[in-house]
Amino acid sequence: MKHGRSARVQHGNNAMTTEPKFDRKPGEVIPWREKVKELPELSGNPDLVKKTWEDADALAYVYIWQLLLSF
Amino acid sequence: MPDMEQLYQQRLKRYTTAMRKGKPDRVPIRPFVAEFIATYTGFTCQEVTQDYNKAFEATRRCCRDFDWDATVPNMVYVWAGIPQVVNLKYYQFPGVGLSPNVGFNYLEPPEEQGSWMQADEYDALIEDPTGYLYNVWLPRVSRDVAAPGQPNTLKNNLSFLKGGMQMMNYFGAFPGQIEKMRTECGTVSAIAGIFKAPLDILADKLRGYLGLAVDLMERPDKVKKACEALMPHLYHVALTSSDPTGTVPIGFWMHRACVPFISQEHFDNIHWPTLKPIIEELWKNGRQTLFYAEGKWGAHLKTFATLPERSIVFHCDRDDVFEVHRALGHKFCISGGVPNMMLAYGKPQEVRECVKKIIQGVARDGGYILDASAIVQNDAKVENMKAMTEAGREYGQY
Repeated sequence: MKHGRSARVQHGNNAMTTEPKFDRKPGEVIPWREKVKELPELSGNPDLVKKTWEDADALAYVYIWQLLLSF
Repeated sequence: MPDMEQLYQQRLKRYTTAMRKGKPDRVPIRPFVAEFIATYTGFTCQEVTQDYNKAFEATRRCCRDFDWDATVPNMVYVWAGIPQVVNLKYYQFPGVGLSPNVGFNYLEPPEEQGSWMQADEYDALIEDPTGYLYNVWLPRVSRDVAAPGQPNTLKNNLSFLKGGMQMMNYFGAFPGQIEKMRTECGTVSAIAGIFKAPLDILADKLRGYLGLAVDLMERPDKVKKACEALMPHLYHVALTSSDPTGTVPIGFWMHRACVPFISQEHFDNIHWPTLKPIIEELWKNGRQTLFYAEGKWGAHLKTFATLPERSIVFHCDRDDVFEVHRALGHKFCISGGVPNMMLAYGKPQEVRECVKKIIQGVARDGGYILDASAIVQNDAKVENMKAMTEAGREYGQY
């Protein structure tokens, strides 16, 4: 294994990413306020859709932070 | 046949009374037993690391056979089933490049490869910790996860599918294990939830200890800002994974954020200001924190004494438990102090004398929980664990 920068590049990806940047609060990965922008107009009970999204998104948050802390 | 619910309630009262610095009927016994459960039950370390049901079963067998008030449902806490499907680089598991009869290893990144987080990535972490973990850290620590912009692969897709399902399986199995500990053994689940300090997690999983040591000298402001950015997330995970009733404490695994791993100045200016508010906030929300102080924290006992009374339980590893008691015993419950070296290499009579001395010196007014100094691994002798337990019952009567 070579030392120095070339090895570092080999080792990892760059922190620069084209992923959209969100203002994420604790417990969120893709917040509902961002997700809703992708959806057609909501009818009926929008809170049901919101809750379903947020419940699943909270699991994605648990996944990455538990990987960091517990695994 | 004992009435398990009655036994459970007695033990719960004993344990919680001590944690609130009260004097229970006798000193509670709460060993954190990891690979010792394999030694005792005849499983290999590989079996209890690969198969959490075997780890659960072995824990319950220990609970049934030893008169322990509380323990952790599975202290072999890294179940291999998750890191293996995510293909994490920083573990070695028994039976996979290691003997099946040793505990798992945590590997710091090889120095020539740099750390899992590069020194010039602080701003990215500070700006968006969760995004950084998903987009940069995870692809780097996993052999299978593709970073954004890289070609997708089957292995990438499967790492998330299998990783997520394995985590649901594993976490979903704990309520059943806790219930069986209660109904089959009358034993209390000792902790709930996880917390690590911002500076510790930077060293553990991001910059590595060597990387962080350099950063503390070369870019301390970035380190502090990163710790501040991590604070709300680590608080959120601690609170949401804790016991909602606040009965048992949150486990806080303290690693290397102490003198001499870091300087007193860095402790005072970076570590403590980004740790103390979290502990205080948890306490305001009715949660005690178990300071599992691995190693030696004697340089910081006076600082810990500034926390609100009863907000923590302080677990003593390699510090002098009598000194810890003098510094903290007026405010907090103390646990631990029986050296693991003695449990591994000593004689039962030495263990008995050690337990007697600790109980006489530390437990007189309550507020003490008997335990080994650190997590009990497969080197501990069964006869010494029996001696610790029996001596605890003999000398721990109030």
